Amino acid sequence: MGILDLTSMGEPQVDVKREIIGQLERLQDEIPEYCYQCAKCTSGCEAHRLLELEPHRIIALLKRGLIDEMVNSDIIWTCMSCFKCWERCPQKIAPVEILFLLKNYAVALGKQIPGNYTAALQSVLSKGLIQDVKTISTRTGETKSRRDVGLPEITKPVDPVKFQALISKMAVEKI
Amino acid sequence: MTKKTLVFYPGCIMQTEQYSYEISLREILPVLDIKLVDVEGFSCCGEPLKSVNRMITLVLSARNIALAESRNLDIFTPCPICNLAFRECKNILDNDDKIKEKVNGFLAEEGLTYNGISKVIDLLELLYDIVGLDYIKKHVKKPLDLKAAVHYGCHAIRPSEIGRSDDSEEPRKIEDILEVLGVEAPWYPEKLDCCGGLLNMNLPETALTKTGEKLRSIQEQGFDLLVDICPWCHRQFDSKQKKSGETVAYSLNLPVVYLTQLMGLAFDIPWGKLGFNLNLSPVNTLVEGR
Amino acid sequence: MKKPRIGVFVCHCGINISATVDVEKVKEYAKTLDGVAVSKDYKYMCSDVGANLIKESIKKDKLTSVVVACCSPRMHEHTFQKVASDGGLNPYTVEIANIREQCSWVHDDKKVATEKAKKLVEAAVAKARLLEPLITSSIEVTPNALVIGGGIAGIQAALEIAENGHKVYLVERTPTLGGRMAQLDKTFPTLDCSSCILTPRMTEVADHPNIELLAYSEVEDIKGSIGNFTVKIRKKARFVDADKCTGCGDCAENCRLKGRIIDEFNMGLNKRSAIYLPFPQAVPLIYTIDPNHCLMLTTGRCGKYPLCVEACEADAIDFNQKDEVITVDVGAIVVATGFNLLDPSIIPEYGYTHSPNVITTLEMERLINSAGPTKGEIQLLDTKEKPKSITYILCVGSRDETVCSWCCRIGCMTALKHLYLIREKLPDAEINLCYIDIRSYGKGYEEFYRTARNLNINLFRGRPSEVRPTKEGIIINVFDTITNKLFEIKTDMVVLVPAVTAREDAVELARKLKISTSSDGFYLEGHPKLKPMDTATGGIFLAGFCQGAKDIQDTVAHASGAASRALTILSKKELEAETYIAVVDEELCSGCGICISVCPYQAIELITEDDKKRAKVNEALCMGCGACTAACPSGAMQQRGFKDKEILSMIEVLSK
Repeated sequence: MGILDLTSMGEPQVDVKREIIGQLERLQDEIPEYCYQCAKCTSGCEAHRLLELEPHRIIALLKRGLIDEMVNSDIIWTCMSCFKCWERCPQKIAPVEILFLLKNYAVALGKQIPGNYTAALQSVLSKGLIQDVKTISTRTGETKSRRDVGLPEITKPVDPVKFQALISKMAVEKI
Repeated sequence: MTKKTLVFYPGCIMQTEQYSYEISLREILPVLDIKLVDVEGFSCCGEPLKSVNRMITLVLSARNIALAESRNLDIFTPCPICNLAFRECKNILDNDDKIKEKVNGFLAEEGLTYNGISKVIDLLELLYDIVGLDYIKKHVKKPLDLKAAVHYGCHAIRPSEIGRSDDSEEPRKIEDILEVLGVEAPWYPEKLDCCGGLLNMNLPETALTKTGEKLRSIQEQGFDLLVDICPWCHRQFDSKQKKSGETVAYSLNLPVVYLTQLMGLAFDIPWGKLGFNLNLSPVNTLVEGR
Repeated sequence: MKKPRIGVFVCHCGINISATVDVEKVKEYAKTLDGVAVSKDYKYMCSDVGANLIKESIKKDKLTSVVVACCSPRMHEHTFQKVASDGGLNPYTVEIANIREQCSWVHDDKKVATEKAKKLVEAAVAKARLLEPLITSSIEVTPNALVIGGGIAGIQAALEIAENGHKVYLVERTPTLGGRMAQLDKTFPTLDCSSCILTPRMTEVADHPNIELLAYSEVEDIKGSIGNFTVKIRKKARFVDADKCTGCGDCAENCRLKGRIIDEFNMGLNKRSAIYLPFPQAVPLIYTIDPNHCLMLTTGRCGKYPLCVEACEADAIDFNQKDEVITVDVGAIVVATGFNLLDPSIIPEYGYTHSPNVITTLEMERLINSAGPTKGEIQLLDTKEKPKSITYILCVGSRDETVCSWCCRIGCMTALKHLYLIREKLPDAEINLCYIDIRSYGKGYEEFYRTARNLNINLFRGRPSEVRPTKEGIIINVFDTITNKLFEIKTDMVVLVPAVTAREDAVELARKLKISTSSDGFYLEGHPKLKPMDTATGGIFLAGFCQGAKDIQDTVAHASGAASRALTILSKKELEAETYIAVVDEELCSGCGICISVCPYQAIELITEDDKKRAKVNEALCMGCGACTAACPSGAMQQRGFKDKEILSMIEVLSK
């Protein structure tokens, strides 16, 4: 007995699906099972035309429990988090939120984190901010620091060690 | 007379590179009798790391709110992305004691507690709802005769489920403020389109394409300038305008300014004090002769 | 009072009860209870054999009352009352102990269920000891009907009732009969001309000797109950003498405001005069002055003199006409108030407010109609040119949890109908249609859909996220889940198929009628399957769209059904009055009048007898709702069949 996706030989991961949907309901009360595949999300997806993200398909695969297919693909990392899919969904489903959870799940599984996410994470860990304070250029090509333009010192964690200890603990936490 | 005193939460992008936003804010808010209090020890709001680990986002937001709460003041978050993170954090923690308790367990490490007493206020709420159009109007000394395209930025108006300061489909607050400044801001079809900014994390080329496409259509429609309020969007539209033009193979020369900079001009504050020299888009036309 | 002799009859209900409740034990327990003369069980107490068992026992054991332990009283109370009556007892000396729905069906543990069943029987026996025989009076029925709403549903219901020989008052809010159907061009799936089949029915109404048509009138107030309602109706002033007006139209032709006032009938696509006839075949054929716009009525002067007065040869215009309130008596009411279309501007992303060429189906209907503002020319609203491309979007606000969660049931077929009509008029135009599911469920509908597919139509299975009016045309991006591709549609004209909603004042009328609405705002039927025309209020019936989305076919069937339900009352000379009504204990009543203030039926009045004030219940008006008995501070107000002492005796047993 059971269901098998013959194109990928994937079987529904019922438990993972339940866990992901469970996390979602605790946060927002948005229930993906109500999706009837009208594809309004994909019609208006900012990332679709350039990057082929299909939010309605993400929901369909989640409903089928084919989670691995998604977490093994870069497609989940193409969302621009514009929130239009959630805002306009006639069934109040939030594909963007599901994508966040799928990415979290991929990270937890130890999948490669693409692009600058690693750098940003490192930067937050060590300095508390996602990037270093910059010296910037004016329109006429001069370089200016915060002090040069009359701005006060930046605000950042006072005790980096304690702060780091806090964030490190989160690596194993789930919402 | 101070109308309201708020903790100022600048967020990473503004305080590490988008200086013109911070400069103009610090310049115009005192005019409107809003006092900002700087607080030591803030960190990233967590929103950019939501893809990696939502728990980090939640705890970082709670940590920052807790820090502000220790001053017994509401928190002003000019960056819509930070604002979204904080409001979502509040929604979760204020409605679920279990998660709150857990988060507070972590915060204890730094001697902090999240209580949920401080409100989180964004720029539109501050200017439109707290200061008010009439009060802004009082300070307009040199009305600006311009036609502006307005860009709210996705995070400023969506998702409404979390509670945003303006309507998700028909936002009006920036337009209404601009009208007070003498600036005409008609509706245009691409108004709600995304700048692509968050894709900078992993797909910067695509981000530039999104940015370039939107700038191109605005420029083609004959607007004098683009007005925004989000440091991420502004980084795309202004700081990276040249690059985005190259990406979409179109010659872009659209002035892009923060709403706060434009307000400063209308208040007759010298443009040199509003960070206009830091805009990389061709804003000369706006400030020449002022 | 003679000593009660109670018969207890425990039903097995096949195994429905006996599988979970030890019937034998319950029966034996009942025998031990005070006043119980006999206790029996049977497999199906509601069968003929079971009924005979009770009847025989009543006679043989000289019973004074009967307790049946069985299913819910909603199922068989009436059955057993009749059995008791046949056996020679007053029918109201029967008490039901519900040991099925409230016991066997909700418990698994047989021991617990048996104990609970024993308690329920004991409580019923306690009440049965105190039961008094009740006599039901009868009330005379007013043989007239009121029909509210003059659309196709109201027309159908009125004609059916009138044909059966009863007087009908048909109240229509607007100046003419016809309703939504009058606005339609053709009807699906036969493509009959809508007004060609509707207007003869309208004329029939006007000519019917049994129908009094009260057009341009509104129901103000309704009192009374089933069989005898008293209805106040406001006949709004038309400022035109109905007897003199010939409907010639010279007044409208000459009106100073001609072409200046939004024409509601044409969905605002053109402008009319301040004196107007909604459409040429209007019934009654009487012009009406719009009091919100007419210069004479709003400002007191119209140039030097009102041009309509000068133009009217019949001398029919009368600015001094006043509203008139009349009162009519009816025995039954049919509500047929129809529906509204959702205003698509509440879904801003669909661009209804950003372009004049984004319209609704009803607006398109008026554009297609040869009697419409463009004489049947389909044209762009701004340039008046023929559109080269028209795009339909289905389910605008329908099946949407943020707007209207329900299906409109007419949108798919309306859009398909338009495809036929547009294809006829614009053979070369591109026609696109974005849908989620095509619901072609009625007789001949699927065949209609099949033919439509061959009309050179582009069908996209997907919901667009937004409609974007640009200088180059209206742009719609839609992800088509059939081809798995995102399509950009550049089009001239967008037709939104909006959700359907209840009338904006549906709740206000519901309050007057004392009927309920369901969560979607439409009126709530008595039972979704078995009483689709009834309301929870006796004598008030629903016809058509006001109860929920329906196409014309279903509306007409529903309206005939409502008429038939109304006739079951109107055809009787007398009705049995409500039995369980309130009675006043004259000794206890202090005449405080609290009961009067809570009574929703105005059934109680304060009378003075021997210098003492006290409440008096009008037995014909009381509906037995129990509001007064709960409110009475002294306990003087009691409800027959549910007196305090009867209820308390049960509570005493159950709380032991």
